[in-house]
Amino acid sequence: VTDSRSNIAALSDQLADAVAAGSASVVAVHARPRLPSTGVHWKDGVVVTTEGTVRQEEDITVTLPDGRPIVATFAGRDRGTDLAVLRIPPGSLSVAELGDPAVLRPGNLVLALGRLDAGGARAAFGAVSATGGKWRAWKGGEIDRWLQSDLTIYPGFGGGPLVDATGQIHGINSGALSRPLATTIPVATVDRVVAQLLERGYVPRGWIGAAMQPVRYDEGGGLLLVSIEKDTPAAKAGLLLGDVIVAIDGKSLESFDQLLDVLSDDSVGRKVSLDVVRAGKQRAIEVVIGERPRGRGRR
Amino acid sequence: VPSGLFLGDAAARLRASVVAIVDDAHGSGRGRGAGRGGHGAGFAWGGGDGGGGDLFVTSAHVVSSRRAVVVTPDGRAVPGTVVGRDVDRDLALLHAPGARVAAVTCGDPYTLRPGALVFAVGHPLGVKDAVSVGVFQAVGAVPRGYGMAEQRPRRGRSPFIPWVQADIRLAPGNSGGPIADVEGNVIGVAAMIVSGLALAVPAPDLERLLSNA
Repeated sequence: VTDSRSNIAALSDQLADAVAAGSASVVAVHARPRLPSTGVHWKDGVVVTTEGTVRQEEDITVTLPDGRPIVATFAGRDRGTDLAVLRIPPGSLSVAELGDPAVLRPGNLVLALGRLDAGGARAAFGAVSATGGKWRAWKGGEIDRWLQSDLTIYPGFGGGPLVDATGQIHGINSGALSRPLATTIPVATVDRVVAQLLERGYVPRGWIGAAMQPVRYDEGGGLLLVSIEKDTPAAKAGLLLGDVIVAIDGKSLESFDQLLDVLSDDSVGRKVSLDVVRAGKQRAIEVVIGERPRGRGRR
Repeated sequence: VPSGLFLGDAAARLRASVVAIVDDAHGSGRGRGAGRGGHGAGFAWGGGDGGGGDLFVTSAHVVSSRRAVVVTPDGRAVPGTVVGRDVDRDLALLHAPGARVAAVTCGDPYTLRPGALVFAVGHPLGVKDAVSVGVFQAVGAVPRGYGMAEQRPRRGRSPFIPWVQADIRLAPGNSGGPIADVEGNVIGVAAMIVSGLALAVPAPDLERLLSNA
């Protein structure tokens, strides 16, 4: 064996080591007919997978790395970030060794791991394609980092981890958030959503109970109120149909996202000040953000 | 950068054993597919006692008739005869006297760990002797829900027999070509793509299948 030959063999060994290390906390989740999905033992007794792959909330089993099937109980789901949480008995398997997705750069070699049955972990190989800051998924969830990789998310790989060449887990892969590249929900987002799901089974979203339409107003933008439901924060604050919101908390309105940002996670109960134009006159109206009723806009 | 950081050495070695197979039934000089450099791939097989460099393994679905032309790595078109066929395992053995191509060495997929680097050599969409790199996933039955008929599998397409499964992007033209480990040892014969996953007949099965064929 020459030096040069051992280099590529060493890389191959390292990738296999990374799969072995990363997959020690990876389970198969049986929560839909036929095709299982993958889950990560994120904290002791807590398994994370993707929301879209959990079709039943009862009779869920997971297959451990040693091939043993055990019963899991459904703990909660968040459609916005495509995450779901299950509980299993503590001490069932090792806990995920988490990395810091901020260190990943485009070009870094990464693996997506999957477990579908008792037959062992599986892996797909590729490279980080693009990274960036916060973004909002089309399902509405706030994702702390943009992390996309050129690798194949095979059937059943959804809910599995993205691991680096040392086997550290940088997040949960979702086949549902965007295409064609594989999207990873980063560690910070998973941590945040898992904490909320364990606490109450869902992620509370801010809500004022009004529908709006973007309009142009003078030089800038505005949001025209086109419907207001009874007994909602908007109604209680005295907002009226036809009002045009031109500024939020003193910042003039440039995009609809500004409002979504104000209504983001843990905004419930907070006061927001809206500059509203009514009959040509501008006035400030304070609205106390409420919690979006459950079952609304879900599924 | 030392060249060995990449697969150059192993790939060059394996490419010297890979041939293109032009099926006689499709016609080699006219009609659809003419001049595309082959309808499938194959490789020189030493078997137990060397074989003289004139025996070639390919997929049964690549050679539909008794005759096929073997295009050697140095570009010679050598007429061959199908001397063995196992449709259930989608394998065929060709004899092309005078081809004299260096036989491959075989590896063992059962010793590979998931994540180990592997590569394929074939002619995807007619690109001659192309190398595709990926990682080994498993050897065994294909997972449920991958779209392989489980009730009444077609011949050569049963999900329940052992397949080498690899994360490699293959295309038509890879069929019958080798999938190898980083050393260039053949671990399987590329057979098909299922849900994006490359499936290959395990190399350790070849000896048995081809001696029965």
